[in-house]
Amino acid sequence: MTIARPAEPPLPQRRRRWGLIAAVAVVLAVIGYFAFSSIGDALVYYLTPTELMARGDAAYGQSVRLGGLVKAGSIEQGASADLTFVLTDQTTDVTVHSDTLPPSSFRENSGAVVEGTLQSNGTFQASQVLVKHDENYVAPSGSAVPSHVTP
Amino acid sequence: MKTRALGMVGLLAVVIAAIFGLFVVPPDANQGDAQRIMYVHVASAWLAYLSFGVTALGGLLFLWKRDLRFDAVALAGAEVGVMFTAFAIWGGMMWGKPVWGTFWQWEDPRLTTTALLLALYVGYLLLRHLTDDPMRRATRAAIVGLVAAVDIPIVHFSVVWWRGLHQTATFGDPAKLLHPSAPLLFVVALMGMLTAFTIVWAYLMIRRYQLARTAWQIEEHGRLGRISAARQAAVRPVRPVAEPHPEEVGS
Repeated sequence: MTIARPAEPPLPQRRRRWGLIAAVAVVLAVIGYFAFSSIGDALVYYLTPTELMARGDAAYGQSVRLGGLVKAGSIEQGASADLTFVLTDQTTDVTVHSDTLPPSSFRENSGAVVEGTLQSNGTFQASQVLVKHDENYVAPSGSAVPSHVTP
Repeated sequence: MKTRALGMVGLLAVVIAAIFGLFVVPPDANQGDAQRIMYVHVASAWLAYLSFGVTALGGLLFLWKRDLRFDAVALAGAEVGVMFTAFAIWGGMMWGKPVWGTFWQWEDPRLTTTALLLALYVGYLLLRHLTDDPMRRATRAAIVGLVAAVDIPIVHFSVVWWRGLHQTATFGDPAKLLHPSAPLLFVVALMGMLTAFTIVWAYLMIRRYQLARTAWQIEEHGRLGRISAARQAAVRPVRPVAEPHPEEVGS
């Protein structure tokens, strides 16, 4: 039943306020940095085929995510789970092979993101095939800097 | 009574919109029936934004006017917003599994920033329990609510700023998500569910605000009761120990 109030510490009110303003400024700066710098490239969810091939020899054997459009007429689905198709960004094509079944929404001209590694024979071996389901999906153009990244 | 009527209207609207979205609108050509989740998913996400926006606004007004009613508004926004955020995430996962091929991708910016949004406002609600002083609680909550609101535009623009699995916003260009042969029905279904959810949201917000005010009154009543008891105790000379000194009594 005590209602004693803890004594207010001598308030460095002004200093606290400046600390708050500084914290908010830091948060805003980080957002601005992410949004408008190309550091986003280091954190990209997927590479385009052109970007992967631009890595040259370093591209092989690396575990990456690759995104693009499933090229029309390129899907070859063998017995059970044996899938081959071409992923394209309209500039570069990469042949993808997968032993796992994609979701039923997987089809030609739709966006797809595959996870796996580029083999030495030039085929991308995917451990996972995901469908990016925007019907009007447009793959970033073949240029090194995707158009959505503002310089 | 008016509030109850609002709740009834909202409930009815959700039922009608659900029937419309489930049975009247055709399924999407590529995604099939799973796409119907979009109506509730987008509606939930919109109300999550709106709720946390209200929390930020309530916090700002509290800091300016020092009126606890604004704090009650902010609290209502945070609690209702956490519910709608969780619903948006859950619906998105149910939609993602059949269509994307995965429930969740941590590297997707939209998914990750939304998970952060949920964590931020759960944190906001926990923070409110750290002190019994209403003014101090409201001040701290207002600051955290304002800082957390920074994540709202990040969530919204994450699909524009970064590459990910998640498609771009439905709002900017609804046509993007729509089946070409039946665009109007899709738009009507989405707008219907948005409207229905927003009415339910308004009802929940009003109820939560009223509850917060009632809780505050009870709290205040208890505080005043303790103060008067302490005053009486100070007048009467003989009392058991452990009664507070009059000087310690808060104003």
